[in-house]
Amino acid sequence: MNNRINKRTICLTAVAVFLIAGLTVGTAMAYFTTYAVAQGGYTIKLGGTETEIEEKVELVDPMKEITIQNTGDYDCYVRLKALVGDAFKEKMKYSEPGEESKWTPGADGYYYYSDILKPGESSSQLKVSFEFPKEELAQFNVIIVQECTPVLYEADGTPYADWNNTADVSQSFFVQEEGE
Amino acid sequence: MMKKRKAKKAPVILLIVAAICLIASTVGSASAALTYHSEHYSAEVVLNSIGVTLVENGKGVSYRDYIKDDTWHEATGVLLENMLEEGEELQLGKAYKEEISVTNSGEIDSYVRVILTKSWRKPDGQKDPALSPELIDLHLLPSEDWVIDEDASTPERTILYYTKILPIGASTPVLSDTLTIDPAIGSKVIETVTTDKDGYKTITYTYEYDGYKFNIDAEVHAVQTHNVVDAIKSAWGVDVKVVSDDGMISLQ
Repeated sequence: MNNRINKRTICLTAVAVFLIAGLTVGTAMAYFTTYAVAQGGYTIKLGGTETEIEEKVELVDPMKEITIQNTGDYDCYVRLKALVGDAFKEKMKYSEPGEESKWTPGADGYYYYSDILKPGESSSQLKVSFEFPKEELAQFNVIIVQECTPVLYEADGTPYADWNNTADVSQSFFVQEEGE
Repeated sequence: MMKKRKAKKAPVILLIVAAICLIASTVGSASAALTYHSEHYSAEVVLNSIGVTLVENGKGVSYRDYIKDDTWHEATGVLLENMLEEGEELQLGKAYKEEISVTNSGEIDSYVRVILTKSWRKPDGQKDPALSPELIDLHLLPSEDWVIDEDASTPERTILYYTKILPIGASTPVLSDTLTIDPAIGSKVIETVTTDKDGYKTITYTYEYDGYKFNIDAEVHAVQTHNVVDAIKSAWGVDVKVVSDDGMISLQ
């Protein structure tokens, strides 16, 4: 009888202690939260363009009338230079027709076109004339070199050309075509 | 004999007291919704509706506002959708306007944070973790209001906390102003040297990252102001402390 009472007492006490211990368990809180999301992006389109010289040669008053056309897919800046022997350099002159003033000489001998050439567009004309004795006409070459460079942009969107911009070759592949 | 009776009663009394205390502890704070009904009229008052809107260049892009009964007023928009002019191609180096901010579109004051994630994807859509997300320059404007969690941020992901309470209907200052893609991505080329049967070589350069797509993900989170330290810890897993009487918080 005493043992039963003792066990009952122990059980009741244990339950009571358990219930009191339950008071120390913190309450579960649900906080008000929400969220919103968005994403976006653009594809980078990179590519070199190609340009071609169009020139008309006059022999009576020796000159070349030169334009450069953007035959590629991307905007570019262009420049050109006429190459002749050192003896004839001083006798060569550059000019633009009418009131045009889009070709600017650089210290490196190149003439720089001020406008961006979009795909399909051609530059305004640049004339390269020569003051040579006529008997010398058959004895020299005038080589026109033209170059293009991609259009770059400042942070404010101002376009510019960097003729010293060099490519960083990350990988090289070598392909040997088989002979017939 | 008397002592034994008292001893018998003690556990029972203890049990009853414990039960009463436990029941009393379940009485908590006021519930979120109060519904009042009478014979003459019915009035329903819904309190504590939280809401937040992600804003880009002054226009709401995405929002999520609680209405009632587990109903949300929400929409998800597209970021950067109007960044380019019609017909314009993305130009490397150009700083495009990209002002991100947050508006409290709910019915309670809240604290907010923004998580920005930048990434690159190959033309086939696969993510390229090797290409630095730092080439995507989203220019941030950290300040006393917008604080970057440097410990949790990486080159790919940045977490910013608005340190003040955002009142109902109010908007934060912008946390960014421009987005620029670094021109360096346009300098990497792949060189292919092809030698024909006569030994003439043709060297072709192609841009390594032509066709890559950059992506920016923006998430804005909002949490109640009441019991802010516990609420932020529970919702965002971050320890903060309130450092001023107007509710300004700081990261710990």
